[in-house]
Amino acid sequence: MPQLDTSTWLTMILSVFLALFIIFQLKISKHDFYHNPELTAKMPKQNTPWETKWTKIYLPLSLPL
Amino acid sequence: MNENLFTSFITPMMLGLPLVTLIILFPSLLFPSSNRLINNRLISLQQWALQLMSKQMMSIHSTKGQTWTLMLMSLILFIGSTNLLGLLPHSFTPTTQLSMNLGMAIPLWAGAVITGFRNKTKASLAHFLPQGTPTPLIPMLVIIETISLFIQPMALAVRLTANITAGHLLIHLIGGATLALTSISPTTALITFIILILLTILEFAVAMIQAYVFTLLVSLYLHDNT
Repeated sequence: MPQLDTSTWLTMILSVFLALFIIFQLKISKHDFYHNPELTAKMPKQNTPWETKWTKIYLPLSLPL
Repeated sequence: MNENLFTSFITPMMLGLPLVTLIILFPSLLFPSSNRLINNRLISLQQWALQLMSKQMMSIHSTKGQTWTLMLMSLILFIGSTNLLGLLPHSFTPTTQLSMNLGMAIPLWAGAVITGFRNKTKASLAHFLPQGTPTPLIPMLVIIETISLFIQPMALAVRLTANITAGHLLIHLIGGATLALTSISPTTALITFIILILLTILEFAVAMIQAYVFTLLVSLYLHDNT
């Protein structure tokens, strides 16, 4: 049976490695499955400038009484 | 007669140059890479088919198993397209070569098993002993389970090789018989021709089914191990 002639096995296996693991995966990884565009119901809450920074006045030990 | 029958399975080499590499790389030409957000009809069709297949096959896996999606999708496309192209007359089908199927089955199976060993060692070792076996049977059962584990990649490779080779051989034989019978008795030739048509339809189905089975089994081995 010609399939059992091991002289060509190295070529075959290397070609398969090239074709399957590299070329095909490069091609398929370029497919872009995007989500359908949809309307966001509300805008995200914008932070006021004093809420973006933690300041010392929130520490309980430093609050007056 | 043996020589004539098996000549279509000899690896094509031209003066020592590996022509077979070009043959194996050819199906990748039929899957153009998508460049835009909305592509042409061919690429959109392939993208739809890819989405359908990945939803069907990868939904049973955990997050870790789903990282294998790219690998399994390119596997099923590769085997499917190679098998279908092999049904054209006088073409060489790379999946009839045992070397190539071993080269696909062993790394994928080994990857799944080693992932299982590294990440969930106890659970993957527990596969060797099914639940509820009587105590005296344990040593024998562990041996049997080990053997059945190591035979998985061999079975994957040989299954694909044997199915595709057998199908191609049958087509050769029945086609030759039909040709020889036309000069002797046209009625019998007609019967054999109808058998040939049915066989070709079967081969189309087998081509796609084998791709599916290969990928499904690899995904099952993955599921056991993630």
